[in-house]
Amino acid sequence: MILDPVDTILTFVLLSVLFSFGSSRLSMLIKVVGFQGIVVSIVPFFVGYDMSIGGTIFTLATLLIRGIIIPMSIYIAIKRVAIHREVEPIIDYHASLLCGLGLIVAATYISQQLNIPAISHYTLLFPTAISILVTGMFLLMARRNAIAMVLGYIMMENGIYLIGTTFSVRARHIVEFGILLDVLAGVMIMAIILQNIKRTFDDVDTALLRTLKE
Amino acid sequence: MVEIIFIVPFITGLIAFFVPKEIGRPLLVITGAIHLLLSLLLWKNRPVAYFSDYFAVTPEGLLSLLVISLLFFLISIYTISYLKEIKIHAENIFTGFMLLFLSTMTMVTLSDHIMIMWIAIEATTLASAPLIYTHRSGASLEATWKYVLICSVGIAMALLGSVFVTLAMDIGHVDAPLSFSALTQVAKSLDPLWLKAGFVFILVGYGTKMGLAPMHTWLPDAHSEAPSPASALLSGVLLNCAYLGIFKTNKIMYAAGLNDFSSTILIVFGLMSILAAATFILKQNEYKRMLAYSSIENMGIIAVGTGIGGIAAYGAIICMIHHSLIKSSLFLSSGNILLGYGNRLISNTGDMVSRMPKTFIAFFSGFAGISGFPPFGIFIGELFIIVGAFRSGRYVTIGIFIAALCVIFAGFAHQVMKISFDDFDGTIQLKEKASMVWPQYILLLTSLIFCFYMPDTVYQTIVDAVTAVGGGLR
Repeated sequence: MILDPVDTILTFVLLSVLFSFGSSRLSMLIKVVGFQGIVVSIVPFFVGYDMSIGGTIFTLATLLIRGIIIPMSIYIAIKRVAIHREVEPIIDYHASLLCGLGLIVAATYISQQLNIPAISHYTLLFPTAISILVTGMFLLMARRNAIAMVLGYIMMENGIYLIGTTFSVRARHIVEFGILLDVLAGVMIMAIILQNIKRTFDDVDTALLRTLKE
Repeated sequence: MVEIIFIVPFITGLIAFFVPKEIGRPLLVITGAIHLLLSLLLWKNRPVAYFSDYFAVTPEGLLSLLVISLLFFLISIYTISYLKEIKIHAENIFTGFMLLFLSTMTMVTLSDHIMIMWIAIEATTLASAPLIYTHRSGASLEATWKYVLICSVGIAMALLGSVFVTLAMDIGHVDAPLSFSALTQVAKSLDPLWLKAGFVFILVGYGTKMGLAPMHTWLPDAHSEAPSPASALLSGVLLNCAYLGIFKTNKIMYAAGLNDFSSTILIVFGLMSILAAATFILKQNEYKRMLAYSSIENMGIIAVGTGIGGIAAYGAIICMIHHSLIKSSLFLSSGNILLGYGNRLISNTGDMVSRMPKTFIAFFSGFAGISGFPPFGIFIGELFIIVGAFRSGRYVTIGIFIAALCVIFAGFAHQVMKISFDDFDGTIQLKEKASMVWPQYILLLTSLIFCFYMPDTVYQTIVDAVTAVGGGLR
């Protein structure tokens, strides 16, 4: 079976998922998020049905924001703060990698059980989307570094974006628009909080945030 | 034009960022008054929205809208006096975000399109996060961080759920607008598997925002760290807005004949919330956190009532309205307590009955109301839920329900007694001004009046709302 171009790109994304499980540096994680952002904004363009001017512009705008602006701004914003820092894992890297492999296998297995008409000829679309989504959640839970958590959140949104824009043709632009708005505003607010955390606690380790309990 | 009602606070909110506090404070009250007027007009005329694909006037939306308007108006009056007593950094940001928060919540009550609903609920998170961070302390920073992160992840789940609903349309070959009202009409032809998946994700997503256990962890932190007027808004209306998202999806489930599935999940999450509240309220040492856990309890009660259906669904709506009225009054009173004693800990308060008698009356009757004493509305609502559960033969559910309510009452009463009657040696730093107790009295009085006399139009609207999820007084 010859792979579709979409599936070929998605293979790289799956590899990048494994990368993000195993990487200890924030800068690496930011690059992975940027790469995934670019891919998830391109894929709907190939899977999609309208090649209108509006659609193209929208795709380019998404690409710019997801793939370049957000990762770059995070990179710049934290450059002096913690860029060379470790992501402070709760679950260590080897165990994380194993989780990642298990996740990809599980996602592939599940996607074969479900029959979704819109994407039936893209073998890797569903497994990739689910993998990115769950990886994001994993990073949110298994890393203590606040920036790694924000990156996990963005990764999760990337996964949902991939599902939302390719699974259903309906109301696609409003989904795109909504998520874009959400990511932009959400990340902005998180960045502001991050700066304040840094200023107040002089670190971005969320283990410091533990005054409030019960 | 229906949309004007959320555009007005949006514009005044933007203005409030740039004006000094002498203008910002009255602006808050004036916007509240205009908002109340507009929503009363909306009740009377029930017009069609200008963007009718995206917005619609629904019975459940109208109920929430009226509660929001009334609460915001009274809270804004309280806020003026509150702001005179405390010093907060950048007051224009506080008032601006209060108004934007009002605008986004109003948008939630009017939205009919699944995606607009999602965008509006996400916008409420973003508009309210700066309110929680008003005091700029380490703890408030932590609360804001938790709030934004947990709620954003939750809301992302709801988005996934919404996408699954559209997938259910594609697979079922349904061609209809992506709005709750249209989907309810064609619900029978939606693909049941994906609709169920969609419902679960939407429930988990909006449930996070609503404070259902085990996704409730942000709620006590956010409610305790926010300034009291903001806590009152968060607890009184934001939770209802999230509930509205679940309620509307449940309407689709009911129309599709999948209500057995949705009721079970709603009841399980509801009971978990009540039990979580019962566990934590017993050993709570801060009064604002105690009130927050009581909100989790009440959201659980509402979820259980909606799940049981029939007369219990009617009871759930009654509980929702009265919880908003009473809980917001309690949070406002807790603001007075905080100003008076200068401390969040229950152990550092006491003897409120003689030191702050006016606040005591508001706080204690609020406590009686929220614990389900007659003649307040929560009593009637809970009674309906219990009757409904017995009618449908859910004995285990209601056994757990009643037992947990008793525990919560015991825990709550113990702490309230301490605040009210224990010895206290220090001095009270607050003079009880009329404008800092009257809003609470009016809220409690409204709750009281609604128990004995409910206008026909309100009654009819509640019945219309619950009929769509298989509820009613029969």
